[in-house]
Amino acid sequence: MKRFFYPFLAGLLLLTFQATLLASLPVHRIRPDVVLILILFLGFSYPTVLGGLIAFSLGFLLDLFSGNALGLYTFTRPLIFFVAQLFRSHFYWKGFSFQFLFVFIFAILEGGLILLLVSGLNPVPFHNLYTSVLADLLFQSIVTGLFTPILFPLFEKGSIFLATQQRVAIKRQG
Amino acid sequence: MRIRALSFFRRYHIPTFIIVLLLFGLVLMSLRVKQRQGVAFFDALFMELTSPVQKAATFVIKTIHGVFQHYVFLVHLEKENELLRRRIAEFQEENHQMKEMVMANDRLRKLLQFRENMPASTIAAQVIGQDPTSWFKSVTINKGEGDGVQKGMAVISPEGVVGQILKTSPHYATVLLMTDYNSAIDAIIQRTRAKAIVEGKEENRCQLKYLLRTEEVAVGDIVITSGLGGVFPKGLMVGEIRSVDKKSHGVFQYADLVPGVDLTKLEEVLILSAAPPPPPRLEEKEKKVKKISAGSSKKK
Repeated sequence: MKRFFYPFLAGLLLLTFQATLLASLPVHRIRPDVVLILILFLGFSYPTVLGGLIAFSLGFLLDLFSGNALGLYTFTRPLIFFVAQLFRSHFYWKGFSFQFLFVFIFAILEGGLILLLVSGLNPVPFHNLYTSVLADLLFQSIVTGLFTPILFPLFEKGSIFLATQQRVAIKRQG
Repeated sequence: MRIRALSFFRRYHIPTFIIVLLLFGLVLMSLRVKQRQGVAFFDALFMELTSPVQKAATFVIKTIHGVFQHYVFLVHLEKENELLRRRIAEFQEENHQMKEMVMANDRLRKLLQFRENMPASTIAAQVIGQDPTSWFKSVTINKGEGDGVQKGMAVISPEGVVGQILKTSPHYATVLLMTDYNSAIDAIIQRTRAKAIVEGKEENRCQLKYLLRTEEVAVGDIVITSGLGGVFPKGLMVGEIRSVDKKSHGVFQYADLVPGVDLTKLEEVLILSAAPPPPPRLEEKEKKVKKISAGSSKKK
């Protein structure tokens, strides 16, 4: 239960951080998607079922607080988590360049997927969508990528702390 | 047979879970697409549970922001002036608080005056959070269904149009801003009375569409609501035209406009709880014309 609750709480706090402090920055385009970074971290370090459920719940919350009425993130966030899991045993994910590139590519891919879904699901095509989203997508993904080397070690420390606590609890019980 | 099914499930339980979860996401999405609204009960429940966190965070951020701007910058002054510095800091803090109060007072007075002038009844609300994603433009406010807020209601401020209510929970609501690409508002150009549709374009930018090429439009023209959509009352400021794109061909011309309200610095808003009076129908107009003409013929 704790293994679900703590990362979910961390995600909720990051979501609040994203919707309040990061949203109040003077340059609105520079808004890293910190929840995406958490989900990608979980993709590397968490089991499929638990991580999938956390990604799903955070996607649902993201949909709730955004102006998106279609529920896109409830679908894309678990999908991104599962795709990230495919890479977990193939890469050494602790280097700066890999972390940056990995999150940058995933941010771009998710942006593309959202663009596809939005244009596919809306009966009337949005001409403005492409100009605004494509102009921001690259910039936004770079900023998200740059935040990764700061957040990944923090998440790692948190997960080590959680694992240690669990071990101590097991020892006490045993 | 049963054992075989059980061992099959054991072997493939992770792929099954992945497929079920993604299918569930797709089902939720299709439900929302079909109804053009959220899965109302769950949306309201989760919004109610998580919005207080957002509200608290906004309060903390505002407080820290104030302290940083008016206190922390004094830390590097000389030690001899410590006492004086503290007093200055205290005064500055006090001054800042008073200025904040005066500014809030001004804003609220303006809001109140505007509210009194509005034909429809209004609900005042505070912005407690902004859209966490960069793709959509929305804000969360601290008023919900319990305060009379309903989906589709118009949201305005003394400077003009803000947007529309997108989702509601008992105590909170999400407002779709006019700059979101999903937003469309029926508008007219104040000077020429030319009709057009204002659609969201990007950060604090909108586009004027379906504006006939024959209409005269210039940079600096003010765009107001037409009152025809049935959501916004007529005559509210929408924005100011910044550029006009008159193509060499086609029926329409396009223009970019900056909203009258700075949507990136939104703090308080008003929600129109009663719909504006609908524009008179053609039949009613015809009846009125007939009555007038009958009255005039009787007089004759």
